[in-house]
Amino acid sequence: MSERYSRQSFLGSDSEEVLTGSTVGIVGLGGGGSHIAQQLAHIGVGKIILFDPDKMEPPNLNRTVGSTAADAALETLKVVVAERMIKAANEKVEVVPLASLWQENLEWLRTCDVVFGCIDGFIPRKALEDSCRRALIPLIDVGMDVYPGDKFAIAGQVIVSIPEEPCFRCTGFVRDSDMAREEGEYGHAGGTPQVIWPNGVLSSTAVGLFMQMVTPWFSNGELPRFLAYDGNGMTIESDSRYARVAGQPCNHYGPHDLGDPFWAAMEAEEATPVPQPYVDQKHTNRFVAWLKSLFMRGGKAQ
Amino acid sequence: MKIHFKMTDRMRREVLADLEREHPFAAERLGFFRCRVSQAKEELLILVSSYVSIPDEQYVDDDSAGCYFDEQAMRTMMQHSLTHHESIFHVHLHDHLGMPRSSRTDIRESAQYVPDFWNATPDLPHGTIVLSRDRATGSCWYPRRKNVFEIERITAVGSKINKLGSKR
Repeated sequence: MSERYSRQSFLGSDSEEVLTGSTVGIVGLGGGGSHIAQQLAHIGVGKIILFDPDKMEPPNLNRTVGSTAADAALETLKVVVAERMIKAANEKVEVVPLASLWQENLEWLRTCDVVFGCIDGFIPRKALEDSCRRALIPLIDVGMDVYPGDKFAIAGQVIVSIPEEPCFRCTGFVRDSDMAREEGEYGHAGGTPQVIWPNGVLSSTAVGLFMQMVTPWFSNGELPRFLAYDGNGMTIESDSRYARVAGQPCNHYGPHDLGDPFWAAMEAEEATPVPQPYVDQKHTNRFVAWLKSLFMRGGKAQ
Repeated sequence: MKIHFKMTDRMRREVLADLEREHPFAAERLGFFRCRVSQAKEELLILVSSYVSIPDEQYVDDDSAGCYFDEQAMRTMMQHSLTHHESIFHVHLHDHLGMPRSSRTDIRESAQYVPDFWNATPDLPHGTIVLSRDRATGSCWYPRRKNVFEIERITAVGSKINKLGSKR
């Protein structure tokens, strides 16, 4: 194990190899995703694929780790900010910055061993879970909200969605009624309150869950699947919504809801048309005319 | 071509439990994975959707190898492949820890029967997987290719990501 990782050697003698051989996707590089990107770089994950079409704006500066005022002024892409931060922490990490929607980069998403979902809304969460389940990829969802009332309440969650196990809808985290409401509010969402410290708590917890999945440092006890954050009480606890469905098969994704129904094999290499050499027709015509003239001369001689 | 073979860890445990059962006369057991396919960036994904155990009566009593399955087992899997448009991967267990290796018999026999699945679904990849107690290896026959491809990565996904075979 290299000196760089000597202080995390308790993760296992092969942990460095396991981590450098891992590919992790981060969807959304705001308050949550930027924290996760930074930590994965320090830990030594080998390849990080970043998905976010957005540019930095002044309201992002309060929580996007690694961003500067200049980034907001220049409208730097969030994936560029994250890539810069990752490379500064660990230049050996291979970064794939994709400044477009994850839905437009499904082939990249499918290469991931684990995906972190750091996106708002129930419909986008379900869509991301759909795509991860189709490729047997565990998804770790991170989210927070600030609720108005007599006192503002900060709350959030980290949920691990593992193929074949209960999904977001099984636990009730994503409900049809919430998605229908969200659909009705399309275009009127506005900017929701977000602050850096709950993002940090939730993202660090998510990275801890990821580490326990790839390089477990203890073997007893179940991996928590649904952790609820109370940002006023400053606590994180297992949410009872998962306990109700734990051990049951998922009711929403069947065992055959996998892969790409429209997949087609690449053409065989030997069937690839061989490029033909370019022939200038002008020269061909001249050559044919010369041959004809030879023949004609021969004819005249007789 | 890079190929990544994925299953759930629950499936891996279920298959191990099935393959380690004793057979009345055969020295080992066999099974088949039914799989779906997807394209990742520079990598073909083979995704196990279910496992089919071969019934006792579909084994052939032949001492020249650990075991043989009969034509009914083959017909059943070809029918699955045709009806559900699925890739079929033959699986058996080498009962030890560490990376398994396909035996000469494995290689010779699989070269005989795996291409037969193309009679059902010529447009899909098919292949073989050899499991050990904690690792795995495999081969893939890709449509319209003469070469057999070694599977680059084999992963069992659960609350732990088990990398059963990896060249990386």
